[in-house]
Amino acid sequence: MSYAYLFKYIIIGDTGVGKSCLLLQFTDKRFQPVHDLTIGVEFGARMITIDGKQIKLQIWDTAGQEAFRSITRSYYRGAAGALLVYDITRRETFSHLTTWLEDARQHSNSNMVIMLIGNKSDLESRREVKKEEGEAFAREHGLVFMETSAKTAANVEEAFINTAKEIYEKIQEGVFDINNEANGIKIGPQHSPTNPSLPGAGGKDGSQGGGCC
Amino acid sequence: MEYFRSGLKSVLGTPQPGSQPTGAETVERLVNRVTSSTLLDDRRDACRALKALSRKFRLEVGAQGMDALLQILELDCTDCEIIGYALDALCNVTSRECFEEEEDRVNVNVGEQFTEMFVKNTGNVSTVLAFLEEYDFRVRWPAVKLLTSLLGSKPKEIQDIILVSPMGVSKLMDLLLENREVVRNDALLLLIQLTKSNANIQKIVAFENAFDRLFDVIREEGYTEGGIVVEDCLLLMLNLLKNNTSNINFFKEGSYVGKLAPMFQVPENVEEVGWSPQKVSNFHCVLQLVRCLVGPNNPVQMTSACQKAIRNANLLEALCNILMASGVPADILTETISTVGEVIRGNLANQEYFANVTAPSNPPRPAIVVLLMSMVNEKQPFHLRCAVLYCFQCFLFKNEITQLQVVQTLLPSSNAASLTTGQLLCSGLFSTDALSNWFSAVAISHCLIENPAQKEHLLHVLLAPNIGAQPVTLIHQMTTHLQQTLKFQAKISILMLLAMWMSHNQQAVQMFLSVPGSVAFLTAQTSADECDNNEELLQGLCAFLMGICVAFNDNTVQNYSRENLSQLIEKRVGIETYVSKLSLISRNEAYAKAAKQPQIKAKVSTDLLLEFEFCKLFKALESVIVNALGVQRDLSNGMSELSLTAHENALLLQYKELIREQDRRLQDMQKELTKSLDEKKHLLVQIDELKSANAQYKDENVIYKASFSNSNGADEKMKQLEAENCEKTSELEQLRKDQEDLLELLTDQDLKLNTFKNRLRELGENLEDSDNSDNDT
Ligand SMILES: Nc1nc2c(ncn2[C@@H]2O[C@H](COP(=O)(O)OP(=O)(O)OP(=O)(O)O)[C@@H](O)[C@H]2O)c(=O)[nH]1
Ligand SMILES: [Mg+2]
Repeated sequence: MSYAYLFKYIIIGDTGVGKSCLLLQFTDKRFQPVHDLTIGVEFGARMITIDGKQIKLQIWDTAGQEAFRSITRSYYRGAAGALLVYDITRRETFSHLTTWLEDARQHSNSNMVIMLIGNKSDLESRREVKKEEGEAFAREHGLVFMETSAKTAANVEEAFINTAKEIYEKIQEGVFDINNEANGIKIGPQHSPTNPSLPGAGGKDGSQGGGCC
Repeated sequence: MEYFRSGLKSVLGTPQPGSQPTGAETVERLVNRVTSSTLLDDRRDACRALKALSRKFRLEVGAQGMDALLQILELDCTDCEIIGYALDALCNVTSRECFEEEEDRVNVNVGEQFTEMFVKNTGNVSTVLAFLEEYDFRVRWPAVKLLTSLLGSKPKEIQDIILVSPMGVSKLMDLLLENREVVRNDALLLLIQLTKSNANIQKIVAFENAFDRLFDVIREEGYTEGGIVVEDCLLLMLNLLKNNTSNINFFKEGSYVGKLAPMFQVPENVEEVGWSPQKVSNFHCVLQLVRCLVGPNNPVQMTSACQKAIRNANLLEALCNILMASGVPADILTETISTVGEVIRGNLANQEYFANVTAPSNPPRPAIVVLLMSMVNEKQPFHLRCAVLYCFQCFLFKNEITQLQVVQTLLPSSNAASLTTGQLLCSGLFSTDALSNWFSAVAISHCLIENPAQKEHLLHVLLAPNIGAQPVTLIHQMTTHLQQTLKFQAKISILMLLAMWMSHNQQAVQMFLSVPGSVAFLTAQTSADECDNNEELLQGLCAFLMGICVAFNDNTVQNYSRENLSQLIEKRVGIETYVSKLSLISRNEAYAKAAKQPQIKAKVSTDLLLEFEFCKLFKALESVIVNALGVQRDLSNGMSELSLTAHENALLLQYKELIREQDRRLQDMQKELTKSLDEKKHLLVQIDELKSANAQYKDENVIYKASFSNSNGADEKMKQLEAENCEKTSELEQLRKDQEDLLELLTDQDLKLNTFKNRLRELGENLEDSDNSDNDT
């Protein structure tokens, strides 16, 4: 399972907005109805395809509770993308976005792509934050925006993939320094110019023929 | 030492001969200079001297100089040299080890006390963290060492401080990129301390590309052929992965499993060069690492994903090669066998791969056969034999096909030409070596787990104990062995195998009951008085097997029907005694040990008694058996509340009430008991706390004394000086008086002299002018 690029993501936002559910839906295509409070940080991963290229997403789902803030901050610096999540049925989670954004901007590298996500779109009857409000906030702060439902899986794939597309474009434009791992991007093993070939490790795909540049 | 003395002299000035200053005095003078001198050069010299004294006079430097050293860290932070000295001195002062040159202090944990003083202000730790960013070797290196030392005595506190300090962990991770090897290597030791049992830090370290860094270092250092640095890298990885499923997932998803492959490369000429101790250590760590990924206590999904990744990276193949290679040290071989076991455990594809591995023996034999040969060989090391059993269990785990294949080799029709697993296990089961009995019995019992078909098949196994004698069934032979052997371990193992076999299998029970003497043996054991621990266990197992004979009885053996057996138990043993005998099993410490994990963890051979899967069986069946006996008793007594007369019913109700009342009281008592126990626990904790507080006060006291001892000295001196002063003043007074007396005398004399002179003049004597002039004035 080799990849062309590896992107590191973080998922941030208030507790209970559905961060872990979004990750679970994306990696396992499952929904978890009970709130299983995240302690610290949990890891998940999945492969996607963009532009015919295999891209590995490594995702760190952080705890939204205040008590873990100092721990979760450690993950900002090395991430290429962030999903900033609020809950459309709880206005206060929307009001806290500014704090989250400030925190993220302060601790992350300046190129980090941030995707704003209004989650629980399936709970239309309990909606407290209008879609337009989310759009406006995103426009104002230069974020990409999307409403999702971790329950019905609506827009979940798109949220993760569109973030990756954005990062991918930035790479093509040369904005990201892909050789600096602190940016949360890695080039796949067989794509790297200095590939330390492992002695005797019988690679399954003998397609390492060099010279195709 | 001479250099050190002369260095000191130059700082302190040559001491007056005959008045050597004490350590405390010297330290005090130095501390004064560090805090009050306005010249940087001067402070630096004094700080260097403090550092030099910080081992021998650690107590004094710590007690008097801590604040001064902290002040330097703050005020002189631009001078790398002085910072280096201060950090070094702090490092010595807070160290957990006792220095050789240190003046004898008995039983006082000075280093820890000073660490506590240092850590009390969390800002101090942040200051040291900040010094890590200074590239200058003189600062960065001691800063790394100081942090490591602090972590050694106060891991939790320091971890928490680093966790909340911005980019704290990142700063430490950057040290792995150091091009100065000493710093990088010490940073490794620091990270090992830092990541110990703290999942949050472990995850951040992994997020900060630790695995990439570490694999880079390992490659540079020559993989397992490399030195202790490779071992340190592996130890750090182990810390990151142990019990941390999030990181294990990350390790697997990050394709790091494949990066382990070069670690398993055994050089062509290994038989000549052998395994160096360092290589053994390195390799041991690699094996531990693999086991971390597939340990039986990890979530099943993750284990199977890792097992697949390990096979795909050809690591299983590499492991099997080591298994079959010659010249591998015994402990490495043992660990490799267990590792192979866990890599194949419950994974069909991996188990199949392993089944097809052949050993380069003559004739070529399946690897598993060669391993089992070692298991039933008395001459092989004990731990290796345990590992083989574990590996074999893993080979059978959740795999009906391998279970079937092993049992088939026991059946008469099997090809007798080549040595088979079945033959090996059979010979082990009845060998004179009790350990071989135990290993083989447990191995066979694992062919029967959740597999009724194999229990059935095993019934058809026939043995010819003596050449020419009538063949007997396996169950018959085992029962005979059980009655005849004097070895405790052998008895236990046969009882476990019989229990596994006869549970849920009426035919096996029937066969067992038909063996002459079988029931008599069980009854005798069950009704015997308990003596020691081992005897208890044996009696418990016999009771258990007897219970199985009741619970899974199809009433086909005359005299030993369900009812007969229950009555036998009731009459010969008594139900209450019987139930308590049963519970002897789960109360035995061997049970608690074995039930903990599937892997066999025995230090010495006599530890091998109960086994994991048997414990599971017991747990599942204990209540089934007790119920079966109870129901049986009720039935045979023909007792049912419906058939009672009114009078009997009233009596019954009366008794029931009595029982309820007693039950209530029992519960009350129990509540009280738990309450008292809780209180006791609480009190014990308090005592412990008080004790440790007391010890701490004692330690502090020593330090305070040390810091005061010097001022005490000054006091004494002062008194002495005052006394001297007094003496001197009185002497002075005396002298003054003397002088006055003398002056008086002198004037007297003068007067007299003048009178005499006048008289002389009157008498006409001519006196010299000089004298005259004197008198004229
Ligand atoms: N109806 C609905 N419920 C959701 C959705 N997403 C999450 N939930 C529910 O919201 C609750 C919280 O979800 P989590 O994913 O555990 O929340 P979190 O953001 O990870 O919370 P922390 O780990 O404490 O930061 C759970 O009960 C989920 O079932 C959604 O899209 N629709
Ligand atoms: Mg969560």
